[in-house]
Amino acid sequence: MNGAMNSDPKVRDAALGWALAMRAPDFDDWDGFTDWLEADPAHGLAYDEVQFALDDADAALAVLPEPAPEPAPEPAAANDNPPGWLASRRGWLGGAIAAALVLAVTSVLWVGPQATTYQTAPGETRLIALEDGSTVELAGGSTLALEGARAARLEAGQALFTIRHDASEPFVLTAAGTRLVDAGTVFDVRLAGDRLDLAVSEGAVIVDPRNEAVRVDAGERAVRSGNRTRVVAVDPASVGEWRRGRISFDAASLAEIAAELTRATGKNFTSADTATRLSGSIATDALRSDPRALEPLLGVKVREEGANWVIAAE
Amino acid sequence: MAPTDPLEEAYLAHRPRLLRFLRARGAGEAAEDLAQELWLRLAAASDREAASGLAYMMRAADRLMIDRYRSHRQATLRDAAWAEAQPGLADNIAPAPGPEREIAARQQVALVQQALEEVGARAAAIFRRHRIDGLTQREIAAEFGVSLSTVESDLRRAYAKIVDVRGAIDEA
Repeated sequence: MNGAMNSDPKVRDAALGWALAMRAPDFDDWDGFTDWLEADPAHGLAYDEVQFALDDADAALAVLPEPAPEPAPEPAAANDNPPGWLASRRGWLGGAIAAALVLAVTSVLWVGPQATTYQTAPGETRLIALEDGSTVELAGGSTLALEGARAARLEAGQALFTIRHDASEPFVLTAAGTRLVDAGTVFDVRLAGDRLDLAVSEGAVIVDPRNEAVRVDAGERAVRSGNRTRVVAVDPASVGEWRRGRISFDAASLAEIAAELTRATGKNFTSADTATRLSGSIATDALRSDPRALEPLLGVKVREEGANWVIAAE
Repeated sequence: MAPTDPLEEAYLAHRPRLLRFLRARGAGEAAEDLAQELWLRLAAASDREAASGLAYMMRAADRLMIDRYRSHRQATLRDAAWAEAQPGLADNIAPAPGPEREIAARQQVALVQQALEEVGARAAAIFRRHRIDGLTQREIAAEFGVSLSTVESDLRRAYAKIVDVRGAIDEA
């Protein structure tokens, strides 16, 4: 089973072909695939080896830097241009950017101009009631744009979504460039840089339904960064605990913890330390009156510098 | 149990086909047990309507077998590592990512990078778009302004190189 790669290159090529074909969303030749597998036990083994190697390559690729990052698509203003505009510039924009522009323009047409933006100051929270009875509780230092009745964009910070499910019109949240689609849900989303942290306490959420389509069920937490999603278990009771003045960290750096604490308390915590990582759960209320109360909680040093509270490893 | 559960009905209707597929995938005598495990995975899906489709079930069965292959492999590698370990180190062997796993992962990254350099920049970029960003071959053809058959042959070359590199690690 853990031996060398199947020695017959024809079998390997056929296995590659099936792995490639299977990846298409509309693949339906299950009988053909089963027939091929049944023809020789070596086929299944070769196929396993191919899928296994590809899985590992995906994991490796996710940590490699992208060779040539594309420039961000043009903002919404592209909408104002006359119809011939896109075609006339296709030549110098290049196919890739033009394709991204098409997407940007289309989404602008979909959501229309009625987006309403809600913003909270650090230390402040806000409850937003939606027309259909769904609610969004916005944590401190967060920005949420509502784009119509069933679409929203989390631009910064964190929010707990309690969504009334409607299979005919699912609620779609965009965060850090990723689409999340609810399937009857209470879920919490937290943004830290380009990292998206999703925790589901009821129902399920589909992450990036068009591509990766990762299902995150109640009691699961998905951490997405660099286009890769990792799903781990979470205590459903802890989802949205920030509303009760508690936040949890999972191998978060002191710099990340400082940013979270600033959002939660309204006190300016800072840290340049991205190497020291801590896990745990702390109550934030005491920190509002005494930022130094963090010291025994995390085993760190907190130093006052002007308006800032600087966190350093002990 | 409710008198009619559409997901269960669909599963029972597809069960012979799923069993045949699991056996063909190498499940052998464990096929019935694996079909049961598959059912548990399907029943846990909260979008039961989506889970009722044959394609969903087949993909779940395929994934189940890939997971099984992986855990068998890791068990075999762990046994080998155990046998090779110095007596003093044996206590430190943990299933969690340890230093040796981390080195293996780094080596894996380097080899994937090398494999993709060998297939060329376009094929490497197409591979990434397909595997990581999840674009279909058709979408990639439009984005890169190349034909569908070019996308497929680039992907095939990249897949083959990745699998070869993996084979080389295993033989080392």
